[in-house]
This record gives sequence, C-alpha cells and structure tokens, in this order.
Amino acid sequence: MEALLSLSNDLAGAVERAAPSIVAVHARRRLPSTGIHWRPGIVVTADHTVRAEDGLTVETADGRARPAALVGRDPGSDLAVLRVADLDIAPAALGDDGALRVGHMVLALGYGPRASWGVISALGPRWRTWRGGEIDRLVRLDLVLYPGFSGGPLVDAAGRVVGLNTSGLTRESRLALPVTTVARVVDELLRKGHVSRGYLGIGMQPVRLPEPLRARLGLPGDGGLIIVMVEPDGPAARAGLMLGDVLVVLDGVPVGDLEDVQARLGGDRVGTTVTALVVRAGARAELSITVGERPRRGAS
Amino acid sequence: MSPATTVDAVLEPLAAAAAGLAARLARVTVEVRGRGRGGAVGAGVVWHPDGLILTNAHVASGDVTVVLADGSPRRARLVARDVRRDLAALVVDATDLPAALVGDSGALRVGELVLAVGNPLGLVRALSAGLVHAVGPRAIHADLRLAPGNSGGPLADAQGHVVGLNAMIAGGLAVAVPSREARQFVREQLQG
Repeated sequence: MEALLSLSNDLAGAVERAAPSIVAVHARRRLPSTGIHWRPGIVVTADHTVRAEDGLTVETADGRARPAALVGRDPGSDLAVLRVADLDIAPAALGDDGALRVGHMVLALGYGPRASWGVISALGPRWRTWRGGEIDRLVRLDLVLYPGFSGGPLVDAAGRVVGLNTSGLTRESRLALPVTTVARVVDELLRKGHVSRGYLGIGMQPVRLPEPLRARLGLPGDGGLIIVMVEPDGPAARAGLMLGDVLVVLDGVPVGDLEDVQARLGGDRVGTTVTALVVRAGARAELSITVGERPRRGAS
Repeated sequence: MSPATTVDAVLEPLAAAAAGLAARLARVTVEVRGRGRGGAVGAGVVWHPDGLILTNAHVASGDVTVVLADGSPRRARLVARDVRRDLAALVVDATDLPAALVGDSGALRVGELVLAVGNPLGLVRALSAGLVHAVGPRAIHADLRLAPGNSGGPLADAQGHVVGLNAMIAGGLAVAVPSREARQFVREQLQG
C-alpha cells in the first residue's frame, strides 16, 4: 500500500510543481488551448490552436486574464510564441528530453490544471513534419491528449517540462515536441519573428515515369515530380527550371513526393546551391538552384 | 541505480500493492443485474455492513438482483433514488458484509492515482487504473478507461478509500459522483 500511496503523492506533486507555469490561451473560438510560461513574459503554445492574431488573452490558474501579443509563429513545428506583460507566475522548470527512455512515466497537463497519465511509447531520431518543421527527436506518447491539451507541457516524474504536447502534427498518434526543439524555435521566433525554410518557388505533382524511359536515362526510383507552376523570378525560374520538367533527383537524393523535396529544404539550406536532375523532353538535364527563403504568409 | 534495482525496489512493491488494493476493492463491489436473466447492468458499492449498497440511479430504477463478492445472488430493494445526483440506495438482507472505507473526495489532488472496479463489457470486477484529471463539487473527472458496466462501481484512491461512484464516460474521461455527494445523499435520504 505504501508504494502505491507514495507513487500517487509523487504524481500529484509533479502536477503541483508544473501547474503554476501553465496558462489557458484564448486564441480561437470556444475551446481555449494550453500554454507554457517559457521564460519571463514569454508564453509558448501550439500554433494550430492560434486562430486569431489580435485580441489574444492568456489566463493564469487564479482566473486572471491578460492581453497577449503574438510574437511569431511557426506552422512547420506547430509552435507559436506570445508576449504577455506583467506575467507574475514562475516560468516552467525545464527538464532534459535527452534523458527520456521508452517506458518512462509522464504526465500531460492542460490548463486548470487537468492531468493525463501515461508512458513514453517510442523515441526516434530527428524527423520532419508534413509542414516542413525540423523536430530534433521523435517523442511518441501512450496517453490521452484531451481537448485543450495541445500546447501544454509533457512533464516527467519530477515535475519538469520535457516537451510540448500537440495533436496538430499527426492524425493517429500523440506526440510531444522535445524541449530542445521548443527552445530553438522560440529563440528563432523571438529573434526574427519567423522560422526560415528553404524555397524553390515551384508547384509540383507526383508522377510515375514509364519503365523504358527510366531505363534509357538510368533514373533512380520509379517516379518524380512534374513541375506545374514556376514562380516568375523565383529561385527555380532563375536556374532555368521550366513547366513540364520532371524533377527526379534533388541534392543527390531521389524525390518521389513533396515530402522528399521539403526534406532537402531546411532553413540551413537558404542561400546554398543544390543540384536538380530533371527529365526534359525525354532527356536528362541538370540544373543548379540557389535555394531562396520561403516568403511568409501575409508578408509582402 | 541500475534498471534492475529499480524494478526490484519500486515496481514490484507497486505491483503487489496495486494487486492487494484491487482485491480489497473487489470485495466491496457488487454486480447489479437487471430483472431478466441478462448479465450485469452495472456495479455497486457496499456502503454499510448491514446491507446498504450504493449505485447509480441509472443502474437501478427498481428492485434488482445483486451478486455479492462471494458470488451469492441477493434480491435488493430500492430504498432511495436521486436522479439529479445519479445515486440510488439498495438494501439486501445481510449483516457483516465487507463494506467500503469511504474517503473524502474534497481532499483529492489532480494527479493522484485512482482505481476503478466494475463489470465493463461483462467482465466481473475488472480493474482500471488512472489518475485524477480534474475535481469539481459535483463530479470527479479521471483519466481512466471505463466501459459500460462500470457504472455504480467504486472509484478509489491509492489507499483504497472510495472517493466516488463511477457514473459515466464523457469525452474519454471517467466521470464519478464524489463521495461527499454520496454521503450527503445517504444522510438526507436514509438518516433524515
């Protein structure tokens, strides 16, 4: 009985340690989401829960609401950063996501506080979201992320924040963004207001290439991406890419779908030159493209 | 501490304690059967050794048959029912029944461990474990997987004290009637 009671007390204690730095974020209709007081005056939450850009408020556990200003957002990693004046609650105590092991007991917390309990179900290497965000480590959870839990902290058994939970990046599984990634993205958003991504200025559609053509040209893979739009004066246009070209290899890697292309266009590639192998008029053509920076939504 | 030591020092006593608690809770949990020859429609908690059993109002709308932990079926008379609180009181002709230790739902903390026993999907006295998700005056929300058949069964804390009666599932959460409400119900309906 003693063992169970002390586990129970430890879990409730972990909730109580983490709870004071959790806020409710009112940035969409009906259901608020959860935010973490990351450092004095800075709140981080899940980008997909921020539907409005003005009139945002955050609400602390004691029920006080304060206006919040959107500092920047990164749909790629599903993170948004808000600035809140006079936020007199403690910033979150951060843990080390590198110390996580499969099977570790963890808590997901929502504003209130509300709690959900489970384990780390899988860990994986660096991965890229479908929206192009670079996540340092895959952290998959066996627990329920209840409505409003997105943007809230993943808390270890000691009550330290080891990740930010979101249901906005995958449909089938529950994920946390490791604190390492959150810290990196928050820094970049505070510095620049956005996170850089590489940009070619093309629209593409996956296509299969006939086997005789592949064999004749010695192409890897079984398909490519047909160029259906070229942004005038964009990076690809300047390199000579044309409508109807089929992109087969980018930066030395065969590409079969849009994700393969995204994966070659991290923020670190901006300004660098990549080679592209295309099929044009039944022949191979090689081009060198200087990667641009993706224009931000709403930016002129 | 090596992983092996951790298992010996923490996990094994934990598993043993959980199993002990589950057995104790099962002894104070009854199965509530419908009037026909069907199986369990819900569960109930032995509230008093003299035969008082509490369940949900939606589980018992009249006299029912209950199956005690020793497997014996008994006729149970409905003596009080409060639909607003979703509570019902049944009485069986018995003395010295193993009765629940009732805890204080008002002292629950978010994150505390809780256990539920009931008859989900026809399983008799199945255990689920989870934790307190949120506490309100009229309901305890628990991050715990219930199924129909858990209704009326006990929600207990890590000491085995019954802090609520499981009443429904809402948005994946278990919702229980707090023990404070149940005590109030017993006071008003049966001791007034």
